[in-house]
Amino acid sequence: MAESAVLSVASKPTVSTEMVTALSRTLGEHPGALAWRLRALARYDALTLPNRTEQRWRYTDPLALLPSAEALLRKLTSAASGSGNETAQQAAAEWKRLRDDEPAVLLMPGDGPRLNAAAEAAGVAIAPLWQTDADEELIGRAVPAAAGLFAALNGAAWNAGMTVRIPAGVELDQPLRIVLPAAAVSLPRLLIEVGPQAIATVIEEHCGGAAESRVVSVTELLIRPGARLHHVLVQRWQDGVHGHMTVRGRIERDAHFSSATAAFGGRVSKLDLGGILAGAGAHSELRGVVLGDRRQHFDHHTLHHHLSGNTRSDIDFKVAMAGRSRSTYTGLIRIEPDAPQSEAYQENRNLLLSAGSRADSIPELEILTDEVSCSHGATVAPIDPEQLFYLGSRGLGTDEAIQLIVRGFIASVMDRLPETVQTTVAELVSARLVRVTGGI
Amino acid sequence: MTDQRRPLFACRNLRVAIEDKQIVKGADLEIYAGQKHALMGPNGSGKSTLAAALMGHPAYQVEGEILLEGKPIQELPAHERARLGMFLGFQYPVAVPGVSVANFLRAAVSARRGEAVPIKEFRRELFAGFEALRIDRSFAGRYLNDGFSGGEKKRLEILQMLLLKPSFALLDETDSGLDIDALKVVSEGVNLAAGPHNATLLVTHYQRILDYVKPDVVHVFMDGRIVRSGGPELAVELEARGYDWLDEATAIEANETDTAAVAAADTAAKG
Ligand SMILES: Nc1ncnc2c1ncn2[C@@H]1O[C@H](COP(=O)(O)OP(=O)(O)O)[C@@H](O)[C@H]1O
Ligand SMILES: [Mg+2]
Repeated sequence: MAESAVLSVASKPTVSTEMVTALSRTLGEHPGALAWRLRALARYDALTLPNRTEQRWRYTDPLALLPSAEALLRKLTSAASGSGNETAQQAAAEWKRLRDDEPAVLLMPGDGPRLNAAAEAAGVAIAPLWQTDADEELIGRAVPAAAGLFAALNGAAWNAGMTVRIPAGVELDQPLRIVLPAAAVSLPRLLIEVGPQAIATVIEEHCGGAAESRVVSVTELLIRPGARLHHVLVQRWQDGVHGHMTVRGRIERDAHFSSATAAFGGRVSKLDLGGILAGAGAHSELRGVVLGDRRQHFDHHTLHHHLSGNTRSDIDFKVAMAGRSRSTYTGLIRIEPDAPQSEAYQENRNLLLSAGSRADSIPELEILTDEVSCSHGATVAPIDPEQLFYLGSRGLGTDEAIQLIVRGFIASVMDRLPETVQTTVAELVSARLVRVTGGI
Repeated sequence: MTDQRRPLFACRNLRVAIEDKQIVKGADLEIYAGQKHALMGPNGSGKSTLAAALMGHPAYQVEGEILLEGKPIQELPAHERARLGMFLGFQYPVAVPGVSVANFLRAAVSARRGEAVPIKEFRRELFAGFEALRIDRSFAGRYLNDGFSGGEKKRLEILQMLLLKPSFALLDETDSGLDIDALKVVSEGVNLAAGPHNATLLVTHYQRILDYVKPDVVHVFMDGRIVRSGGPELAVELEARGYDWLDEATAIEANETDTAAVAAADTAAKG
């Protein structure tokens, strides 16, 4: 199997006012959207590439994640003219596959998102992003256009956007599944509001694509007081995809955000994932399982930003790298001066399954008040040969032993996945483990 | 029918080195079906190194011959030796966090039998083993050796032996760190597993377990060599006198006189 090389663009792609204006018009957006996009565009124009001397970009070249100007122009004009949209075709294929397989609620931008009857009856509302002025007060609350180059690019030029509103007090027993197939260039944007006291599971599934696909996605999750959101991000892109994903949960008073990432695919994949603890009693948990092989490059950044006191955050990120794959994890915990009695825990463990793999882990702490409880831990280690010998002495060959050890290693994350997605993720883990142990 | 003249397990002139340090300096063992042998020696004499090398630890440089039922196995990796019927009870069992005892054991039993053991059948065997060793059923869901007490680890080693039904079991200090009740339970397990078609080598530096598990032959292992072999009374003598009296000179001489005792024990086992 051929391994694709990292192909970087020479500079950040240009986006023009005309492109953005035409795009917004064709998508039938509310006029407010265009104004917001143009402000994001001004940001984008003003921003230089991220500084490679900063920890967060030290190991990953931003130019490897950006589309070329030509590809972007082609994409945006095709979306604007409404023709040749390969995302829609891919989405339709995915939709078919998934609909046959399971009864879960399915949503998909680019293919006329649909809800099943149960979700509709519960009052869940979905719509293309910003077709009414109701989105004005929501957009940018978790991921402002000023958040960085990728947030600004997506803010100016998202080409498939969707708003999901879960009304107050509603408890959804089936997950909402949002499938985001990668096209040559994809700039999806999701805005999800979980109303006060509501309980929901949202699966964000990044899939598809081809060599050279570029994805710049943004997901904003607004978790209202007392609400509980289980968010699951599955990244199972095809081999050659390069992408940058931003996910932020804004967690209000007594609300709970629990996010699990399962990343397997793509060539270069960067995820910027975070929780903003904005009200007392807010609780955020971020978990991750990353399994890489061949020459894959993964970069995960987590942020827990404690704006309010009496908040709690917890991170458990497990990374296993095989072949010549590489992983970087940076985890920032920031506790503001007026956020006392906060608790923040962060743990990132990396298991190297081959001599050629590599993992780096860098905690970043900005604790601006004393009255907090905070801990962090990071380890990078190869598989313990004594474990292999012990399992070997019980009849388990190296491949089987490694599979068992890796499953044990990620168990703390797998065990805490919502039940409705456990099987799906377990199958992806199994498939990857078979590939990984075959290739050791 | 098994060939009674052929030992179930043997090693010949076994030499084991790690990082160019010679630890085992030529060991010979012949253990027949139905026998229990004890290998006794002071701390640091190389007993665990010998045991790990026999099981196929990849870090050691091993010279000499290892035969299981007449088949040379010294070139085989540990998992193949295990599938052929060898078992090593570890002095320090290794933790594998996140892997439950039940999942691990089912994989191990399936590997040993060469086919997936059905869940129901496996549970029956597992719970029978728990009962025999007075292990709580909640063990099934605990992570393998993770946070286990010394005694819990040793019981689990014996449980594994009961389930895997090895033809040749090497038990490395399975008795150490056990209180008297646990020692009895573990000994019962060893006696339960022992039968006319398998063999056991108990590695220990105390005589204590030999009150419960009666060895046919006792070997004294010092500084990488078997310096003396004899009947069970040798263990008693070691208990009374320690190892110091067995300096090499007397050992060599004693070895000759004791050959008769070993031969007698072997004959008894064959007969
Ligand atoms: N991995 C190793 N590297 C170097 N020396 C070792 C290693 N393992 C054991 N040894 C040494 O080998 C000798 C025998 O150890 P061991 O086999 O554990 O003895 P015993 O089990 O009889 O107490 C000791 O001197 C010990 O320090
Ligand atoms: Mg020892």
